[in-house]
Amino acid sequence: MGELEHLQQRIAVLEHRLSEASAHAEIVEREAALQMSRAVDLSARLSAILSISAALLISRDVDAVVQLVVREAVSLFPGTSAAHLFMADSEQSGLVLRAANNPAVIFNRPSEGLAGKALLSPRAMLLVGPQLESALSDLREDQICALRDNLKTWPPLSALLAPLRVEGQRFGALVLYGGVHAHLYHPRDLPFIQALADLAAVAIDELSQRNRAAALQRDLTLTQSLHAEAQARLSAAQAQILQSAKLAAVGELSASVAHEINNPLYAARNSLYLVEQDLDPDAPQRAFLAIAQQELGRIARIITRMRDFYRPARAELAATNINALLRETLELVQTHLRHGHINAAADLSSEIPLIIAHADQLRQVFLNIILNACDAMPDGGDLRVKTRLFQARSEAPMTIEIDICDTGVGIPPEHRPHLFEPFYTTKAHGTGLGLAISAHIVTQHGGRIMVESELRQGSTFSILLPTSDV
Amino acid sequence: MPHRQIQICDDDSSAALITQRGLQSLLGDRYCITIASTPNAAWLVCAHGNIDLLIVDPGSGGGSAGALVRAMHAFRPMTPILVLTAYDTPGLRAKMRDLGVSYYAAKPIDFKDLLPIVTSALRMTPIPDAFFPKLYACHHR
Repeated sequence: MGELEHLQQRIAVLEHRLSEASAHAEIVEREAALQMSRAVDLSARLSAILSISAALLISRDVDAVVQLVVREAVSLFPGTSAAHLFMADSEQSGLVLRAANNPAVIFNRPSEGLAGKALLSPRAMLLVGPQLESALSDLREDQICALRDNLKTWPPLSALLAPLRVEGQRFGALVLYGGVHAHLYHPRDLPFIQALADLAAVAIDELSQRNRAAALQRDLTLTQSLHAEAQARLSAAQAQILQSAKLAAVGELSASVAHEINNPLYAARNSLYLVEQDLDPDAPQRAFLAIAQQELGRIARIITRMRDFYRPARAELAATNINALLRETLELVQTHLRHGHINAAADLSSEIPLIIAHADQLRQVFLNIILNACDAMPDGGDLRVKTRLFQARSEAPMTIEIDICDTGVGIPPEHRPHLFEPFYTTKAHGTGLGLAISAHIVTQHGGRIMVESELRQGSTFSILLPTSDV
Repeated sequence: MPHRQIQICDDDSSAALITQRGLQSLLGDRYCITIASTPNAAWLVCAHGNIDLLIVDPGSGGGSAGALVRAMHAFRPMTPILVLTAYDTPGLRAKMRDLGVSYYAAKPIDFKDLLPIVTSALRMTPIPDAFFPKLYACHHR
């Protein structure tokens, strides 16, 4: 009997232990299920975070990044009724809403509202109960109204806030409003929202840096191009100054020589005149006298041109019509053109304004170039005179371009660099002063003269003259 | 018998001789044309004689020729002056105009172009007030 009782007691103890063990097993199973559920949830969130980070890596646009972050935040944190991403404006004077799953308010001061709290906070925050009510009570009435209109449920039951920060610099905030009791935000959510905010911050910062780098590269390219342009202009100006100095030196020498020759020339020409007076009208010497007078006359003309090179013929500055000058010059050489079987055509822009210039000098330039063009077309050809108005740069004055094109023999490349040098000529009877004087005159008018030529195709002389207010 | 006198002042002897012979040939025996190689010599002739026209080349310096012109204006204001120069420049023209020179020509000039200027100068009415703003004959070549 005693043994039976003893066994019954043992059974009861064992049954009690069994029920305790079962109860404990139930608790452990529940805990395991909870942990399993959390692990699944965690795994899902980590997967989501990884997906977001991969998506952010390939994003090329800040707007795309912020839209993606807001969209993913809503799915990452169940029960979210609104997600807002704010960024500080360029002057750091306000927070601008860059993306929301609903349209929302913009805060004028960085410290305003939940976005302001998030921006100023060192790390992610969870606001619930009185803390959230207090934060919402800081908003103005219009901001409250705007926010209420944008939330599915009002008031929000909890909120997750996180600053957007990179290397200690905060430049925005991520705010999630929770509106469902069953899914109140939990402190466990804090690392995730901060991770999401950090990913967004890094992606936005990188894109901003990339945009800044691209802008700097563009600025650098522009600066380099402006520098190259300025360098080219400087080189051209230096070359022009050098050329002007050479011309001035040569011109001064020419004028000096011209003056010294004037006296003997005067004596020689008029001696011939006196000799001629004493000759019979039929004297055979008259023919030689005529030749001598003719050649002395030629010397006189060369001397005059040499002197004018240094001191161009006196002319008054006046409002000058370039098109009219070109028409007059073409009219002047009309017979010459006809005899040379040269077809002349003028394409003169009606936009060409009057400029202040020495009309006689410019006429001399046009005449020189047109006569040279005629010489370049011994078997006839086409002569085209064209004008146009253009502006090289926005800050530059309007410029008149005069192109005089021929279809002549062209200028050999070895001659081109010397074309505008005084006394450089390829003509048997040329003085080599025509183009030098032309270049001098154009330079004195603040302009430039250029030439392009193709052998057996022709040449184009381009004269650029700055316009001025008349 | 010559009754009008022209004085030439030119330091280039050939040019001076040609001017003298040419004008003599063109104007005839009624004119006595003399040459002085320096402004001083020319002034002595002008100061003591009865010169109807002074033709002067200021030369490359032009300084003493300027003094001659000033002396002529001061002491022989009715004698016309023709500047005939091989050193024509705007500066010289302006200087001569400022000195009151009414006739100006630049060498090399042909006699057929010089003659009208000379005859015009010789016909000039000898009234002092009319001297300065007279026609400025400017022959350039």
